[in-house]
Amino acid sequence: MAKKSLRRAQQLAGSAEQAVRAAATPLRNFGFPYRAPTVPRGVEVPAEITGLGAHYDTGWARRPVASFARGLITEGPIRLATRLLTNPEIVGHDRLADLARLDDPPALIFAPTHHSHFDTGLMIRAIPVVWRRDLVVAAAADYFFDKKWKAAISALSLNAIPIDREVTGRASSDLLAALIADGHSLVIYPEGGRSQDGWGQEFKGGAAYLSSKTGAPVVPVFIDGTGAIFGKGMKRPKPGRTKVVFGRPMLADDDESTRRFNARIERAVTTLGDEALTDYWTARQRAATGDNPPLTGPEFTGWRRDWALADRRKLGAAGKRRRQQRPWPDLG
Amino acid sequence: MPRPGFVLDVDRSTPPMLFWRGENFSLEKLPADRTRVIYPPEPLPGIDDVDGAIRNALLNPLDMDPLPALLTPGMKLTICFDDASLSLPKMRRPDTRQRIIEAVLELAAEAGVDDVHLIAALGLHRRMHDYELRHVLGDRIFDAFHPRGLLYQHDAEDYDNLSVIGETDEGEVVEISKRVAESDLVVYANINQVAMDGGWKSITTGVASYRCLSYHHNPATLQNTRSLMDRHHSALHHSLWRMGEVLREHGPKIFTVETTLNTDTFPSPFDFLAKREWEWTAKDRATFLATQKSLDRVPVKMRRKIMHSIESPYRMTGVHAGFTPTVHEKTLENVYAQHLVDVEGQTDILTMGIPYICPYNPEGIMNPILVMCMGLGYLFNMYRGKPLVREGGVIIMTHPTYRDFHSVHHPSYIDFFEEVLPDTTDPAVMSEKWEAKYAEDEWYRHLYRTGNAYHGVHPFYAWYWGAHGQQHAGRVIIVGGDAPTVRRLGFTPASTMNDALEIAADVVGRSASITHLHVPSVLVADVK
Amino acid sequence: MRALQVRRTPVKLGMARITSALSPAAAAKVGPLELRRIDDPVRPGGPDAGWQQVHTRLSGICGSDLALVDGHASTYFEDWVSFPFVPGHEVVGELDDGTTVVLEPVLGHAARGVAPPFDGAAPGDGDDYAHLATPSADGLLEPGIQTGFCCSTGGGWAPWFWAHDSQLHRVDMPDERAVLVEPFAAGIHAALLALPTIDGVDDPIIAVLGAGTMGLATVAGLARYVPHAQIVVGARYPHQQALARAFGATVVVADRELLRAVRRAAGCHVVGGQLTSGAHVTIDAVGSNASIGDALAITRPRGRVVLLGMPADVSLDLTGLWHRETELKGAYTYGTETLADGTRPTTFQLAIDTTNHVEAERLLSATYRLDDHVDALAHAATAGRRGAVKIAFDLRNATS
Repeated sequence: MAKKSLRRAQQLAGSAEQAVRAAATPLRNFGFPYRAPTVPRGVEVPAEITGLGAHYDTGWARRPVASFARGLITEGPIRLATRLLTNPEIVGHDRLADLARLDDPPALIFAPTHHSHFDTGLMIRAIPVVWRRDLVVAAAADYFFDKKWKAAISALSLNAIPIDREVTGRASSDLLAALIADGHSLVIYPEGGRSQDGWGQEFKGGAAYLSSKTGAPVVPVFIDGTGAIFGKGMKRPKPGRTKVVFGRPMLADDDESTRRFNARIERAVTTLGDEALTDYWTARQRAATGDNPPLTGPEFTGWRRDWALADRRKLGAAGKRRRQQRPWPDLG
Repeated sequence: MPRPGFVLDVDRSTPPMLFWRGENFSLEKLPADRTRVIYPPEPLPGIDDVDGAIRNALLNPLDMDPLPALLTPGMKLTICFDDASLSLPKMRRPDTRQRIIEAVLELAAEAGVDDVHLIAALGLHRRMHDYELRHVLGDRIFDAFHPRGLLYQHDAEDYDNLSVIGETDEGEVVEISKRVAESDLVVYANINQVAMDGGWKSITTGVASYRCLSYHHNPATLQNTRSLMDRHHSALHHSLWRMGEVLREHGPKIFTVETTLNTDTFPSPFDFLAKREWEWTAKDRATFLATQKSLDRVPVKMRRKIMHSIESPYRMTGVHAGFTPTVHEKTLENVYAQHLVDVEGQTDILTMGIPYICPYNPEGIMNPILVMCMGLGYLFNMYRGKPLVREGGVIIMTHPTYRDFHSVHHPSYIDFFEEVLPDTTDPAVMSEKWEAKYAEDEWYRHLYRTGNAYHGVHPFYAWYWGAHGQQHAGRVIIVGGDAPTVRRLGFTPASTMNDALEIAADVVGRSASITHLHVPSVLVADVK
Repeated sequence: MRALQVRRTPVKLGMARITSALSPAAAAKVGPLELRRIDDPVRPGGPDAGWQQVHTRLSGICGSDLALVDGHASTYFEDWVSFPFVPGHEVVGELDDGTTVVLEPVLGHAARGVAPPFDGAAPGDGDDYAHLATPSADGLLEPGIQTGFCCSTGGGWAPWFWAHDSQLHRVDMPDERAVLVEPFAAGIHAALLALPTIDGVDDPIIAVLGAGTMGLATVAGLARYVPHAQIVVGARYPHQQALARAFGATVVVADRELLRAVRRAAGCHVVGGQLTSGAHVTIDAVGSNASIGDALAITRPRGRVVLLGMPADVSLDLTGLWHRETELKGAYTYGTETLADGTRPTTFQLAIDTTNHVEAERLLSATYRLDDHVDALAHAATAGRRGAVKIAFDLRNATS
């Protein structure tokens, strides 16, 4: 039965192709100017300013109609997909309760770890609703804004703002600062991109810089488990469980440089990572002595690094799923 | 700016007054021209940066070194905290205790303190359920300490783990948890919802033994406690302060952190409860009617569930840390700032609505003994100076007073109601004749130590709590209660407020003055 | 003569049973019991066999009578009674010579001309009930466990009936007291069944469920013949509680409070609605599903449950009985008792003694003429609720 309908579909597709080909055949006769010109050899065409990448104007996506549409997308498909694929456990909202209770909650800069494309959807879902409404996401300009359609989707559904990760462009940081001053909260991945090998990367100064510039507190966030679900290089997602841990909002001290503040944010996220995998008191004790296992993984390279990653993942939320699915008893 | 409390004289255009009736409420028209209503002050503004304020208090304590200076590696640190009887109703997460303890733990971690125990200072209250501990302490602390057995609940019957600190001049033996006694530093995380709480009472009841508690939880002391909300005229608090002196001299070093809350008790849609009736908007009236009618129509179990699921949006109004008595004086200032209402003179008849909750039934059932305890123990004691009602006057309470008990939380209450109350309602007699039997019953002891039951002797304490009120009042009338149950409490049942006022007329005459204590929220009448 | 008689009409029994759910008075109306003119019973034995005509003075209404007339009785008795019969076995009457007698209703060996199991045996003694279910040798006495269930003798709900010498106890007491001797004998018998279990126990606890006539009689018997025991009584109605107290119970509580009262006395734990220890002996004077279940729950392991109330058809979870090795003991008849001090009086001697001691006439709440039997039965069926204990027919002024 199935084979039969498959065969039928194939036949239909075949005839459609023939019809299109037949219709297109007369157009072949129309060359330039009906088609784009070809470039002569030896001539270099200057790159035009495309309005894509870091220059994409996302203003339209913050207009009321688009915001409303985004509300529907966020609470509908994104929420559902997040639930199905990542089944998140969200902890630490109580650390934001004081700010959330204010009549006019201040804009925050959320600085999560980054292991997967799912992180953004997960963050949108996990951030308390008072900030979710006016949330913008810093997204890599070279990845999310390289095509018109990709840019439009990113801007509409995630309220993404392109950020150039190669050069710290004034344009993008000014825009973000302006948005924060305007009351928008921001999700920015301080690592600058998804993890290459499953371990974290060093924090770049973006979050700390924006915080110092705007006075908005930075909220360190640790996301556990998305790397195992849809990490870099995976062809299709493996649904699993995740955990999102929010930390206490942080502000730069009076005489603290951006670099030192950035290091402090990284330590805070590291502590949260330890808290997520062990417990609060252990993490705190180790934080006091600087012994939290670093997110960037052990110093050595090669297979031992992967080996250590497997061990670490066993502790986390994603590890639980795999243990439960193991068909044979764990013999140690 | 919140308005202070005030006393309203009821006239013919005064709307009917809100009364609690257990898990529901009613509006009662009170007689004009001889009734006054005491309204509590509106909630004071809270502190915005709570965590900052707590940290500041820990770093700048009163009459003690800053907390970091008291923390050394290798020391024994014990953190005690108030149990589920505070706050009422439970506050929205994060709970103040979680904030305090996290702040303390962070300093302890920085100082390299490894040996930390967390003890719920239950006294003879029931052990908290795990979800309650999570609510009070937050998931982080619970998950870190509970699985390792470092977070546990005080056991006043575990004599192997209790130790005697000393004896007061009046021969009261101070006996507290051994871990607390042997700690290098004890931090107490407190919530002061009413003036009765806090101070030396925290440690000397919270982590004390039954023996130690019986010195002050007895009829003689509580009849001379005038009132529970005024520690300078409370025999109970005098005894506790004597014990505190012993603790100071011979006990561990205690670093007290006390916090006060405002009275922002009921979230929407119940926020009309705290409003003055003539200020109810159309929406408030519609909400009241809808709530009252629908509560009437659902089974009492569901009603209870609905009410107990309320989480209060309290705000913290103050935090002080350091040496216990000094801290407590500051705390009392804050509490009184929120609660005090000046009242001129006493009254013949005091009316009050009894709510669905009292300190001894969080998540449980307000059984008849607790109705007595709440009315005559707590609400009656909401005074400073003189009681609101004159001696020999009448107290009218509204509550369904069903004969219903929580068999897990209150096992000994059932027996108390069935065995002791038919025999006597006199606190002195019952203490003499029955208390020991209940205190020593193996089953109650077992349920208290391993289950979630109040100690066997607790119904006696709940009853003694009302001893002063019982002695003071000429008659107590419960409106809308189950008649046989009300009679067994030694009170008079009445079906309506008018009937109750008629019955009261037999005692205090036809033109007696009436005062209504308008709860919620909490207030303390400063009677001149 | 005019008497109340029960005929075997299954339809009426069924109707009565259904109607009883609505109202006991209606059940009495449609039931198998009718006041009608009946043939005078023939002397059930030879002139020298010791049969006497007893003129009824007072005749009580017992729980088993009620079960019978409203169709609740078990079919067990189908072959142990003979229809049609005149009920009534709690009888005080008068012999032709004017002496007052109390009836011991069991139609025993002497009445049926069968050799007794031992000398001085009371009618209910012995370990073979064959004689109860077969007609006597001369065919004059039909089967029937006792007077009131036998068609040959007649019964107490009639102006007179036949009784055998062995059934009669001459008494010297008011009629109102004497009519309670029979129920007291049953209660005392049950009370004395506690003795073997508490032998050698210092401070035994005996729980009594129910304080109707039987329960109160048991309490009186316990107080008198088992004096060192703590008697804990669960009684539903206030007047029953007051009487239980007056008869010597140590602790009297409302029926639903009994479990906790026993727990307090025993100082044990409660696990899943069962006491871990409990009463040494529990005497169930109710005989319902619920009461037997409660009795099992409050009796300590290897204790004894005595069923005094007639249970009929019940459905019970007996796991607890198995696990706790509880002994379940019936208590129907009277006979010869063994007291704690070793003496062996008959139950009726003890009953007469006890009724005198407690002035049992205070249990007799109302009397009715036979003509008002519907009211009488309705009153008896709702005795507790209406503040009564024992209801009886008064035939002292009856015309036959």
